[in-house]
Amino acid sequence: MTAIASTIACNLDSDILSAAIPLFEESRVEAIEWAFDSLDFSEVPEWFSDLIDAYSKEGRLIGHGVFFSIFSGRWSIQQQEWLDNLKKLSARFKFDHITEHFGFMTGANFHYGAPLAVPFNSKTLTIGRDRLNRIYDACQCPVGLENLAFSYSIDEVKKHGEFLETLVEPVNGFIILDLHNLYCQMHNFSISFDEIIKLYPVDRVREFHISGGSWENSSLSGKRIRRDTHDDAVPDEVYQLLDSALDHCKNVRYVTMEQLGSGLKTEESRSNFYNDFLKMQQIVRNKTSVPNDAENTFFPPKIVPPGDIIEDENLYIEQQQLSYILENSTSYDDAVSRIKSSVLAKSDWGIESWAPHMLETAISIAQKWKKK
Amino acid sequence: MKLSKALISALIVGITVQAAGCKKDDAANSCPCGMG
Repeated sequence: MTAIASTIACNLDSDILSAAIPLFEESRVEAIEWAFDSLDFSEVPEWFSDLIDAYSKEGRLIGHGVFFSIFSGRWSIQQQEWLDNLKKLSARFKFDHITEHFGFMTGANFHYGAPLAVPFNSKTLTIGRDRLNRIYDACQCPVGLENLAFSYSIDEVKKHGEFLETLVEPVNGFIILDLHNLYCQMHNFSISFDEIIKLYPVDRVREFHISGGSWENSSLSGKRIRRDTHDDAVPDEVYQLLDSALDHCKNVRYVTMEQLGSGLKTEESRSNFYNDFLKMQQIVRNKTSVPNDAENTFFPPKIVPPGDIIEDENLYIEQQQLSYILENSTSYDDAVSRIKSSVLAKSDWGIESWAPHMLETAISIAQKWKKK
Repeated sequence: MKLSKALISALIVGITVQAAGCKKDDAANSCPCGMG
């Protein structure tokens, strides 16, 4: 029988930490998830390092990367630096697992911006597997990927779980099933939980994320688009997903609540954060009594040292063109026109089946996170 | 998980100092999963 740890995403942010203090004081936080690549560790104050250390010593520290950009077609110096940093931190702290986001970053050098989907094909599979193996080589602990909140088409939504499983299989990796991301997909593509959960490898889920988000109106369809902005309280629908998903996923060890500090500046929002955590913890504790006799450790069955770095110049060019179009188009029609005359047309990107309201959303996301 | 009282006290002091410094610095001078 394995207890599931109620966890908070905990970074060097005075608003997040202020909201978390009452939970720390009541010994409720059973693990912390640290976005280890969001700051230079040499700038971290001793008191924050001591907090990480305390959870590390109990085997209750997990790491969550943001900036690696796992599917960038061309290997970059930033990726090597990211791995070097992870290796150094893994020597200093004991991570129980390390995770990254699915996708590639839209920024011009792919290490800032927002993560967006890639085609699910043999070249992205090969690159993704190579990068996961390098992450494992750096951290020497289980490695996982998080499901993406964004998809261009319903076809992509339905293939995401299967592609994730194929990706992580060689390193015996796992999946963070972000339930708010799932909620975004369910709402934006009108698909039910019962339909979508069947499309995910539930035995490979080791962690859940829950968070809040926001609504944005599509000027094209009039439809409300759900976005994973992490800036509001967890909606009731996501708690319901957590309750249901726990019945399906028997290898879960962590349930992590994520919220950005920007949404935790008032006493009311911090009180909501506290109550949200308690609600999450109660759901988790009600389910923890389920025994699992065949627990997967998610360590690779055999260690294969990384070989030559795998790159794909065509994929790199496609990503560059897509990023440029999303970041610089003046309107939806402008973006459509540019995409149709780019290398993306009639390719594995499947632009011909992209849902208009999701391309509109991709433009909005890319321009929000564009480097000024 | 139980944290020591000393660590919690250090956290409270550290956060308070950081928050005060932030307001001053920001006046003078986040995570993006694909839907941020």
